[in-house]
Amino acid sequence: MNNILEVKNIQKSYATKQVIKDLSFTIKKGETIGLLGPNGAGKTTTLDLVLGIKNVDQGSIRLYNHNPIDFPKKEYNRIGVQFQHSFYPDYITVSEICQMTNVLYTKTDNYHDLLKKFGLGDKEKQKVQSLSGGEKQKLAVLLALLNKPEIVFLDELTTGLDPQARRDVWDVLKDLKEKGLTIFLTSHYMDEVEQLCDKLLIINDGILVFQGTSENLKTKYNTSSLEEAYLKLLKEDHHA
Amino acid sequence: MRKLSTLYFIELKLVIREISGVLFGVVIPVGLIFLLGALYGDKTISDTSNITMFQQAVPGVITIGLCASGLMGLPLAIANYRDKRILRRYQVTPTSPLILLFVQVFVQATIAIISAALVLAVAFIFFGYSMIGSPLAFIGIYILLLLSIFSIGMLIASVSNNVNTASLLAIILYFPMFLLSGATIPFEILPNSIQSISKVFPLTQGIILLKEVSISTSPNISILMLILLGGIFIIFTLLSNKFFKYEY
Repeated sequence: MNNILEVKNIQKSYATKQVIKDLSFTIKKGETIGLLGPNGAGKTTTLDLVLGIKNVDQGSIRLYNHNPIDFPKKEYNRIGVQFQHSFYPDYITVSEICQMTNVLYTKTDNYHDLLKKFGLGDKEKQKVQSLSGGEKQKLAVLLALLNKPEIVFLDELTTGLDPQARRDVWDVLKDLKEKGLTIFLTSHYMDEVEQLCDKLLIINDGILVFQGTSENLKTKYNTSSLEEAYLKLLKEDHHA
Repeated sequence: MRKLSTLYFIELKLVIREISGVLFGVVIPVGLIFLLGALYGDKTISDTSNITMFQQAVPGVITIGLCASGLMGLPLAIANYRDKRILRRYQVTPTSPLILLFVQVFVQATIAIISAALVLAVAFIFFGYSMIGSPLAFIGIYILLLLSIFSIGMLIASVSNNVNTASLLAIILYFPMFLLSGATIPFEILPNSIQSISKVFPLTQGIILLKEVSISTSPNISILMLILLGGIFIIFTLLSNKFFKYEY
């Protein structure tokens, strides 16, 4: 059994709004899965449910064969997380946030090396709040990788990054993917998911509307542009 | 242990860099003790007593740091970490977010104790202060007071849905205690009506106890007050535990 994550028919509502209506998918070891969908489609909620921050109303989730809502604390050593909009304590420096994150885990990577890989090697003594938006975003991805996770969850990993910085992040992820890292990411960028993902999950209004490779989707809509295929899919779904 | 000490020292550095905690918790009480020392000189509390007004004022000033850290520093830091979703980040690591709360309590207590030690040192070195009563009893009551004030701070942190609510509640509780409990303005000169209102503050009770043990060799300690402070600690800790959320 090499499914790291199994999600079956989950539903989730907040107050009066049903955010996740019906969602099922699995992630196998070594896969890179991209979760796509318009803003408000339920991507971040899906991550919260999978990580055990919130509980499902219906359906079941198994992460490493545990229900995430009572996930054993120790098992979080296997998981890296980058939340959308990462915030840091005021006045903390780059090396301090790395040290602080380090001690939360049993085993960790050398953060000096990772900072260099991400082009942040000369920023160690700098305050996090003085970094540019792109640098902060790179730092957020780096912190998710610091504990040498088996699977990493990245919520909008390159939002706010300039083209070169995006390439830097992609290169690091591709390298780790080669070494067997499983990646679950959300994104709004079609070039990014085409570069990185083996499989796409597209959700709209809390429902899974497509599951497959980017090639599958492009063939389905007879176009060479993933973006065009994606927009056609959503438009079609909207009319349905 | 490495986990706790790393978190502790980094958090301590952050609190010091943030400066307002140091200003309210250390600079103000140390400045005040200089001022009171200069104002009171060797004046005694009455013609028949050899206890000086300064000796009577020191215990109150010692509690200012404790109040600033416990009622402002602690709830603001925790509410801030919740707002910034740092507690949420800890939820998906092998370390419990509770560790961060404990570390924050120890960091704030450190600031309070540094403040108290500096106030005592200034009083001793510059104004020849000596404690008439038992230092051990004084330390015991100080710790009890610290626990009860910090538990109130934790409850503020628990019930505040964001930093703004936390700072509003902190200010509402902090300033009346700061001004009326005898920490700054001598309790003895307040009108009777204000004295009786002020007596509901645990800080007032704590300062009365601290004054009593510091200026008397056979202090008249009210067991009821000790139970009150201990009771506040237990009840407020239970309540803050009940209402605490990692995210609002």
